[in-house]
Amino acid sequence: MNKMTSSSEPKNVLIVGVGGQGVILVSKILATLCQQQGFQVKQSEVHGMAKRGGGVFSHVRFGESVWSPTIPKGGADILVALEWAEALRWVNFLKPNDGTFISDTQHIVPPFACLSRKRSAEVGYSRETPDEILAHINDGYAMDATGIARELGNDRAANTVLLGVLSTALEFQADDWRNVISSFVPPKTIDINMKAFDQGRDWALKVKDSPDDAARHLRSEHAVPTVPTKAPYDAHDFVHLDINPAWCKSCDICVKMCPERCLQLDENLKAILSAPDRCTGCRICEWLCPDLAITVYRTPEAAAACA
Amino acid sequence: MSQTKIKCDATGEDLAFNPMEYLREGLFPHFLCPGCGHGIALRAMVWAVHELGIDKNKLAIVCGIGCSGRLGAYVDANTFHTTHGRPLAYATGLKLARPDLHVIVITGDGDCLAIGGNHLIHASRRNLDITCLMLNNEVYGMTGGQVSPTTSADRYTTTTPLGNTEAVFDACKLAEAAGASFVGRELTIQTPSLKNMIRDAIKHKGFSFVEIMSDCTEVFGRKNDLGNSAEMILTQKSTMRPDSYGGNIVDEPFRPNFLPTGVLAQTDRAEYGETYRAAHRAKGSAK
Repeated sequence: MNKMTSSSEPKNVLIVGVGGQGVILVSKILATLCQQQGFQVKQSEVHGMAKRGGGVFSHVRFGESVWSPTIPKGGADILVALEWAEALRWVNFLKPNDGTFISDTQHIVPPFACLSRKRSAEVGYSRETPDEILAHINDGYAMDATGIARELGNDRAANTVLLGVLSTALEFQADDWRNVISSFVPPKTIDINMKAFDQGRDWALKVKDSPDDAARHLRSEHAVPTVPTKAPYDAHDFVHLDINPAWCKSCDICVKMCPERCLQLDENLKAILSAPDRCTGCRICEWLCPDLAITVYRTPEAAAACA
Repeated sequence: MSQTKIKCDATGEDLAFNPMEYLREGLFPHFLCPGCGHGIALRAMVWAVHELGIDKNKLAIVCGIGCSGRLGAYVDANTFHTTHGRPLAYATGLKLARPDLHVIVITGDGDCLAIGGNHLIHASRRNLDITCLMLNNEVYGMTGGQVSPTTSADRYTTTTPLGNTEAVFDACKLAEAAGASFVGRELTIQTPSLKNMIRDAIKHKGFSFVEIMSDCTEVFGRKNDLGNSAEMILTQKSTMRPDSYGGNIVDEPFRPNFLPTGVLAQTDRAEYGETYRAAHRAKGSAK
């Protein structure tokens, strides 16, 4: 038995990320390693929404004896996050006084971060900087693991970089980590994963005893990707819908197909724009109007030219 | 093919496109029933023509008889309204005599597969540079809703009061087997994809056949209780799937009307007009 079992409480590690990043792989590696060290391990995961870019999380609990497979809120010893917004979403699962926070600062902005579908609407993604978050946490590491992995030649090794950081927070031997990682990753990528593991581990060991919180944030030469506050096109909110009532045959396609439900038929059964403020100018009504009665103008110039 | 610069905004959207530049505005509103998918196909076609920057004087539309046959009248170009089932035959003569024209044939499922079925296979075989747009609404709409070669199984029409028990023609397989060098199928609900497919078909050197899945709400949908036109085009979307899924669900019993969409075949076969003119040059005109 390992010396870590001095406390009978099991150790809780929560691993979170977005579908496709390797959350499950990380938790499998950790669980296998703990098993090899003679611990009882329980692991449970949710990854059903992953295919749609949704969050994936995996609870790993290990110790002398483990009963429940899940970690309660405020009960995680270590949070490993492979994506920045997921890290912030789960940060309240950390133990308030002695939790360790390990996160990639990579931003994967999901499509639904833009709550309004209007053109040039603001994107609602986390605005907190890594330094602001680290200042509130007992022990935290934020690093551009994806940038490191990309420099090594494969973005997908980012999870191994974070495993390197995680290895400094647990008391297992580095060689045991390496053995387990090599047995799990695809054979062609063992070299790159070993390098990624070493880079993450070396950096974490270097900053571990630093008194400065900001040092726990690895920016170095890797640019942290920024989130655009505006949609990438020109900020003109102009949308003008022109419906020719003489051509409209009341087929109802535009009313039924409008994603914002902003069209309806009036008392003469002609299509009208009943909620102009909701119209985003997506053009679906224009494309699907069989009578070519609808024209969408998205710039004042276009409207003036065709008026 | 002259590729003109199109004015776009930052999203890559084409701001300059106005379908009325290519249509005879005085004839609108058109004669089609409310919710007929042919109107959507008409927009997609002129949109593709606009994207390619084709001069209206270099565009020839050849139409047969039927609801689809009427569409040619609305296009402000050289249009040719021909006899039932024979637009491909007329177009073959037109393209051979005037190779500088972009010849687009608009035809329907009955026009193209039943009355003009022989013309389709021979046009495919010759591989002359014609674009054939077949608007498939599964019925003879103009003549009162008779069963057509593409009417799905168990559908009611005026001539199949017990439900259709005839086997269905897969027009794309037919055209591909007969030798068409570009074969594709698209739904009207996916208008931008449809526009892209028509654009690629016009650009393609050789016989290109595009089957456009249209909807007939008034004659076909009403008789089969398929709902309004919005429901009909949504049903098409859910019953027909992209080709990438084709291998897996083609035999699935819950999708009896499954048809793959997308570009189904594309080859670089020699174009008939060029081989004919080369032979003519080599052997001299026989007078």
